[in-house]
Amino acid sequence: MQLGFLVDLHLCMGCKGCEIACKVENEVPLSTWRLRVKYVDVGTFPETKRTFTPLRCNHCENAPCERICPVSALHYLDNGIVNIDKERCIGCAGCVMACPYGAIYIDPQTQTADKCTYCAHRVASSMMPACVVACPVQANIFGDLDDPTSNISKYIQGNQGNVQVRKPEKGTNPHHYYVGGGNVNLNPLASQRIEGHSLFNKITTLPVGGHH
Amino acid sequence: MAAHEILAATNAVVTLDVALPGTVWPWLVTVNMWAKSIGTGVIFMLFMLLKRYPDQVGKLRFPTIVASIIFIHIFLLFTLADLHQPLRMWHIFFYPHITSAITVGAWMATAFVGLLFLLAFLSFVKKDNVAFDKTLPWVVALAIPVTLYTAGLMSQCTARELWQMPTESAQMIFAALLSGSAFMLLLGGGKLNWDAQKSLANILAISAFMSFVLYMSEYVFGPMKAEEVAAVLEYIKGDGPYTSMFWIGQWVAYLLPMLLIVMSRVSKSESILKLAAILALAGLWVVKHVWLMIPQLLPMS
Repeated sequence: MQLGFLVDLHLCMGCKGCEIACKVENEVPLSTWRLRVKYVDVGTFPETKRTFTPLRCNHCENAPCERICPVSALHYLDNGIVNIDKERCIGCAGCVMACPYGAIYIDPQTQTADKCTYCAHRVASSMMPACVVACPVQANIFGDLDDPTSNISKYIQGNQGNVQVRKPEKGTNPHHYYVGGGNVNLNPLASQRIEGHSLFNKITTLPVGGHH
Repeated sequence: MAAHEILAATNAVVTLDVALPGTVWPWLVTVNMWAKSIGTGVIFMLFMLLKRYPDQVGKLRFPTIVASIIFIHIFLLFTLADLHQPLRMWHIFFYPHITSAITVGAWMATAFVGLLFLLAFLSFVKKDNVAFDKTLPWVVALAIPVTLYTAGLMSQCTARELWQMPTESAQMIFAALLSGSAFMLLLGGGKLNWDAQKSLANILAISAFMSFVLYMSEYVFGPMKAEEVAAVLEYIKGDGPYTSMFWIGQWVAYLLPMLLIVMSRVSKSESILKLAAILALAGLWVVKHVWLMIPQLLPMS
């Protein structure tokens, strides 16, 4: 079994329901996110549009975070999920530095690394991840990539040529796919970050250690 | 930030992305790398001096080992201080993951500290220089991977394209040679004859030159190979936030010491050599800090 995720960006409307569901399900502290939706505005007025891209751990087949973790706090489950053992983590932040997707953070409450686990605890009980359940338009498709009859496999087959992953050049082989993504959605270097143009400019962050 | 793939046609602007904290490895890691360079570098220099000037170095055995012990402990202390869960450090030894450069480095550094204390024992308690000199090559052999493992760690940071393994290895070795020779010039000063000091100065100058060449190569040619490197190097170009600090580091760590060493050849001045050594040690911290910080400024999402 190899669990994977696919987001159909044609369907996502940026409601952030997945973000909230994730926060509630996993008790993610203030100022940190396991899953977040990035907005990128494209075009020049009046020909403008807003794109929405949910970003979470890519559960890479060749995960840099798993490789760099000195104590195996980050580890693979049999179903392909890259899981984290917060009791074992020493907080070296090597995984945060290694992840090319910026998906790992230091939890300010536990002072350990944390990230999306595809809701491994729910999956173990045969439930879908919280974000999948919360999505009102079924933009999140989750399932077994090794099973050609699974929804995710069918979706990938049905969208041949229009399935992307983030930063394929890194050789991480992500198990998180996007349909309908473009350079401005998936490449952080393809869009500008102009001061004052963010919808929320004053975000409170909690300290994650005396000097960080 | 210069985003190299931004097209005027798309005019793409990020309007909401709660980017995760940028600076993950702060100045504590800079001190870690800087202190380790000195801690292993002085061992390399002691070995060289014992081979080339055995009559000059007798009294330097113990002080050099003490200096190495102090700086390696500074390195270990700051490594520990940078952990968010320092009391769990023992996990590295009881739940080791050997694909991680952190694990391998921690084991090697521990063995290195043990060997340093053995050398201190042989030198100070047993006063057995023969045994000391027989043990030292093994310590030197271990000092090489201890110096290099941080380069391995940085190259394991897949997200930070700037840190490539062959370059980082070379930079780490040159940093150890630079800081080791500089520290020995300060430590050995009056106890070494002019020839021995010249040898140390040569090593300092050559490692400064080679380090400068590496940084300039990266500065000029790096952007031609990788988009992320180009974006990161924008932080040390033009009005970039680290431009001044980068050039101060290059001048203080490499260019000025090189010039001063050339001047010392003419005047045969030990004071000028010591000034070069102090500048190299101070500048190395600045150089390492800039190189540590700039890849962390790049948004990953």
